[in-house]
Amino acid sequence: MTVHRSDRPLLEIQDLRTHFFTQDGTVKAVDGVSYEIGDGKTVGVVGESGCGKSITALSVMRLIEQPGRIVGGSVLLRGRDLLRVDDAEMRDIRGNQISMIFQEPMTSLNPVYTCGDQISEAVSLHEAVGRRQAWERAVEMLQLVGIPDPARRAKQYPHELSGGMRQRVMIAMALSTNPELLIADEPTTALDVTIQAQILELMKSLRERNRMAIMLITHDLGVIAEMADDVVVMYAGQVVEQSDADTVFAKPHHPYTTGLLASIPRLGEKRQRLEVIQGVVPNPLNLPKGCLFKRRCPHAMPVCDTPPPLQEIARGHLSRCWLTPAGEPPAVGPEATGELAEAAASALQAPA
Amino acid sequence: MEGTQLGQIPAKATTGAGQGAVDEVDLTPVRTYWQLARQRFMQHSLAVVGLIVMAILVTLALVVPTITGSLYAKTSLSLANHPPSLLNPFAPLGYDSIGMNVFIRLVKALQTSLFVGFSAVSIIVVVGITVGAIAGYVGGAVDNLLMRLVDVVLSLPSFFLIVMMVALFGTGNAIVVIVAIGIVGWTTAARLVRAEFLSLRETDFVQAARALGAGDRRIIVRHMLPAAMAPVVVAATLGIADSVVVEATLSFLSFGISPPEASLGNMLTNAQEFFYRQPILILYPGLTLILVVLAASFMGDGLRDALDPRQRVRK
Amino acid sequence: MATYVLRRLIQAVPILLGIAVISFMIIYLAPGEPIDRFRSGRVSPQTIENLRRLYGLDQPLPQQLLSWMVAFFQVWRVDAWGYSFTDGQPVITKIAARVPYTLELMGTSLFLTVIIAIPVGVLGAVRQYSWADKIIMVLATIGYAMPTFWLGLVLKFVFAIKLDLFPLFGRHTYGDDSIGDLVWHLVLPVMTLTIVSVAGWSRYMRSSMLEVLHQDYVRTARAKGLPGSRVLFKHALRNALIPIVTLLGLTIPSLLVGAAVTEAVFAWPGLGGMGVTAVIERDYPAVLAFVMVGGAMVILGNLLADVLYAFVDPRIKY
Repeated sequence: MTVHRSDRPLLEIQDLRTHFFTQDGTVKAVDGVSYEIGDGKTVGVVGESGCGKSITALSVMRLIEQPGRIVGGSVLLRGRDLLRVDDAEMRDIRGNQISMIFQEPMTSLNPVYTCGDQISEAVSLHEAVGRRQAWERAVEMLQLVGIPDPARRAKQYPHELSGGMRQRVMIAMALSTNPELLIADEPTTALDVTIQAQILELMKSLRERNRMAIMLITHDLGVIAEMADDVVVMYAGQVVEQSDADTVFAKPHHPYTTGLLASIPRLGEKRQRLEVIQGVVPNPLNLPKGCLFKRRCPHAMPVCDTPPPLQEIARGHLSRCWLTPAGEPPAVGPEATGELAEAAASALQAPA
Repeated sequence: MEGTQLGQIPAKATTGAGQGAVDEVDLTPVRTYWQLARQRFMQHSLAVVGLIVMAILVTLALVVPTITGSLYAKTSLSLANHPPSLLNPFAPLGYDSIGMNVFIRLVKALQTSLFVGFSAVSIIVVVGITVGAIAGYVGGAVDNLLMRLVDVVLSLPSFFLIVMMVALFGTGNAIVVIVAIGIVGWTTAARLVRAEFLSLRETDFVQAARALGAGDRRIIVRHMLPAAMAPVVVAATLGIADSVVVEATLSFLSFGISPPEASLGNMLTNAQEFFYRQPILILYPGLTLILVVLAASFMGDGLRDALDPRQRVRK
Repeated sequence: MATYVLRRLIQAVPILLGIAVISFMIIYLAPGEPIDRFRSGRVSPQTIENLRRLYGLDQPLPQQLLSWMVAFFQVWRVDAWGYSFTDGQPVITKIAARVPYTLELMGTSLFLTVIIAIPVGVLGAVRQYSWADKIIMVLATIGYAMPTFWLGLVLKFVFAIKLDLFPLFGRHTYGDDSIGDLVWHLVLPVMTLTIVSVAGWSRYMRSSMLEVLHQDYVRTARAKGLPGSRVLFKHALRNALIPIVTLLGLTIPSLLVGAAVTEAVFAWPGLGGMGVTAVIERDYPAVLAFVMVGGAMVILGNLLADVLYAFVDPRIKY
């Protein structure tokens, strides 16, 4: 455990709810998500596509577009609720205290402006510097992110650069204002494996240099293992497991996390076949009652018809599952003891 | 845009241990392409309105002139300039300055317009599909030659060429108008079909048909044409609107259908002559034209949304 | 760029040749003979024969086509496009005399279209599904469905006859050459052309802007903390204008058609009216020249579109 620079964590997401009001019905893309990010910490957020991890990030930035809307909760940046500041204040925070980089470096840069223009635009927006200084900073940043011949590259258009180079430009742009928090939404997914490793290395070194926190969104547990201090596992708009990275990898509790880990191939390991999680992500318009994962869960039990709460199963380790901390089915009956067993018992007695 | 990555869960469900109980299976009904297309079309309310309006117009154009026969060209000077009156079911729009029944004439003109519109589009579709299919299926030098022809026709000043053809081959003849519109209009359909054929040629189901020994004709007619039809249907529907307007413009410039035959265009030319006495006469043919064009383009838009699966991704 | 333009111009030659072949075929297949208009009781068969020789109609068709094509490209010669059947004037000078009149009509209308349609389209896209957007879309859809000539008639009736604000037709009042008089005459024809093209362009602009607003780089711009107006005008609009600029070249042919019809409605002495008259009069040299000039305009419009594209989109290089 590290000591925080202030008494409050950098970012606290509390009971965040972001819903999409589509023609076919309401999609609860983010439904009561809470987690926090400490100063200089890297939090990995994992889950399948559509689990709400990106929507959570966009909600923090207040970049949710129609038909989506943040309907509840709060996002505290050093104790200040971002969901309640006015638009001008929020603009001041965006790209300054919190920066974001996106999955698709190919389409995330404006094709009609040079890379240097786009970086210096961010600089001059948030800092009282002249055009020339902003441009010099852009070139500096390009150098910092390891782009050779930065002065020339700054004058080039995005289409003249490769995907990896463009993601470096995105990172340069995001870091040009020294943000306290970098939100990286699948930063390496669209890149070749070797380029992926380079970009991760770059992010690591810049994290040390700037002492910034990172919200790293990915579906790739390999990336998490490489980078993250803490891990948040999301499923169907909810957090299902949360702990420090070592615990999640060593002692996963939620069957979904276990499934994710089992589906990673490992070098030198002899396995007949890769484990997969059975079934598909539930239709967001037609979520199952009770535990959202029960249809795909190898441990599904009658009690799963009641939604399990997110509970601390060990110090700093939260899981949304009825299994006991040891991973056993909860004992139900007179011999059962403990909070979880009691909750399970009352859940079973209540009409579903 | 996510490729197969470590830790990603395959999208396809497999049955096996751990699967939920039977009553929990997500029972989303399976629908065919055409059922989905019809459903999407019906959700497009403007398209449905367009379809209904078009159906009414076509019915009117088929029924009324059949009943009234040659009355559309009958002049009775005693009735000249009779004002419109909804109380008179026989002549709700009154009579024009030479005593023609405006309503009967308008419906007859609508019939002419729709006839020209649908016939011209039929030519466009037949020629377009033939050229496009040959170019796309045969490929090589034939394709090259046909596409150069398309380039030339696309560069023609089409409206002026239509005017020229109509003027030289017989002003006032609906057939000439139809053929002229068809001759300059087929290129879009040809390009669409060619593009579809080029991509379909390499698909598995066409290769499979070929491997099973199906002949060229069978492959084209049974396997490729149905798949290539969607964009053509959309283009053809939108083409009806264009053809109707071209015909009206031609007739207005007195190249197209000339009196006593009725056309929306020549009714307007006529109305222009009685500008001062009965200005309202420019309204009816114009509004009818707008109605036809709107109905056809709404239907076209709806069909595009319904038939083009690539559009489905859009939110 | 220069080599690209040159290559495109060279590629245009076979296309123009194709247009010429098609025009010749139509005239050849049409019933009657080009010089039929000269036949009458008082003209001797000998004169007709002389005329046929004079116009080269006694030669085989390919020969006629070839010599006509060769002459056509010698635009510096007054007789390059032949002499009009109706008044004996060189066709090239007749056409050249009309070009400015059509340009003042088309140019004014195009200018107005651009400065009206772009803001309207942007407004519709930014406020998608709002009342403003719905009104814009309804008006644009109706405007798009209105035939040009009918709109011209309606405007003429309302503004020239009922309200008596503008002249019924013509380019200037006899004996009055002032600019004011010209503008006064221009209002209705320009309004006709502009309403129809604003309808089309604003729909196009709206959908182009909508497409751009959903692009990732717009989200990037917002994530940087840029204010909404900067995101809209600097990042989105600049990209949304790219297809609009190409539309500029591509609409020249359709504007020409609109102009021809408008000219007919308002008796504007431009190219369109002249073309229609040439066809009615069966003035073959003029008709052929018209088809070729029209074809050249289409080809040049396409070329212009591609060249402009390279200017506004850094991704395009020739």
